[in-house]
Amino acid sequence: MKFECKDLDRAFEVPELMSDAREHARDCPSCTNDLWVWSEISRVTSGLREEWDTPDLWPKIREQIAAEAPGSRRRSWRLPAAIAAALLVSVLGAIWYEFRPGISIKDADFLTEQTLKELEGTEAAYVKSIGKLARLATPKLEKPDSSLTAAYREKLQVIDSEIAELRASIDRNRYNTRLQTELAALYRQKQETLQEIVHREHN
Amino acid sequence: MLLTNALAEPPAADFLAACQRGNLEALESLYSLHSSRMKSVAFQVLRDRSDAEDAVQEAFLRIYRALGGFEGQSSLTPWMYRILLNCCHDASRKRTREAESALSAEPAISNQLPLQLAIRRALDRIHSGYRMVFWLFEAEGFRHSEIAAILEIPEGTSRKWLFEAKRELKRLLTEGRS
Repeated sequence: MKFECKDLDRAFEVPELMSDAREHARDCPSCTNDLWVWSEISRVTSGLREEWDTPDLWPKIREQIAAEAPGSRRRSWRLPAAIAAALLVSVLGAIWYEFRPGISIKDADFLTEQTLKELEGTEAAYVKSIGKLARLATPKLEKPDSSLTAAYREKLQVIDSEIAELRASIDRNRYNTRLQTELAALYRQKQETLQEIVHREHN
Repeated sequence: MLLTNALAEPPAADFLAACQRGNLEALESLYSLHSSRMKSVAFQVLRDRSDAEDAVQEAFLRIYRALGGFEGQSSLTPWMYRILLNCCHDASRKRTREAESALSAEPAISNQLPLQLAIRRALDRIHSGYRMVFWLFEAEGFRHSEIAAILEIPEGTSRKWLFEAKRELKRLLTEGRS
């Protein structure tokens, strides 16, 4: 094949044709120049990289990472931790109440009015915390579908439906310890799921 | 200066695990390894050093937060740069919303040679996809497989766009000559 000027672009795309292009360029000033420009574009571009010192950048990033590290999240976890502690105390109290001397097994399945109030207060705190998290998580859940987002949405729907079911049962039997404990576990699960979504990055 | 492909090698499992645990020393090593190139890539998109630094900072935080979910099946490097480019695009969109022209901040070009200057200006005139592939390959030293992973395009497209970018640049640099 006789190499002509019009073949030069093809040679840039197909490296095997480059030797023919160089051969042709010996007697063709225009192609010589095009070949030079082609190679100079690559050579010169590496010199266009912008480099500068940023001694303050890592300390800033480090500070933010440290603030977000699990050990530093105590402040933001204070409310859930308090809720969990209150719940534990309530449940232990309920268990003690169930098995204290002189109480029948039938009575032991039920909470006292006082413990119930405490648990309902705990539930209200959970709902408040979940509400805040849900507001933060909503924009991420509304992003274009990814399998992960869809999985989170599905998980939340399942938890919500279980909560609704359990709430209906509790409304019929609000003094039942087991149902109250299960409800608290579901709220905790929903809270943890929302926290995962909020802290997770979509790429 | 082209960076070596050492950056592209998969990180040792224990190093990755340390980063995932939030070990600050490991994260600092990761930063030291990539920050220069990340700033350069961010600058190429944002054309402003301060904005580029902000984008790198935001990218690192997003990387830190998402590292727990990184399973190591793909290379860490393209994954990090994909996050970086997302941060750059977010910053660019924000800047547009704030009615600041993305091109208002001209890079420091006063000390550049005529051909460098011409290439810089020609780069602004080519398709943004071609420009990014060209930049990642020619200036930052990424391989086509990595560029494909960063930009989420087929490897063949990366090769094709590099060729198209160079052809466009050559046309722009030589137009008016004949």
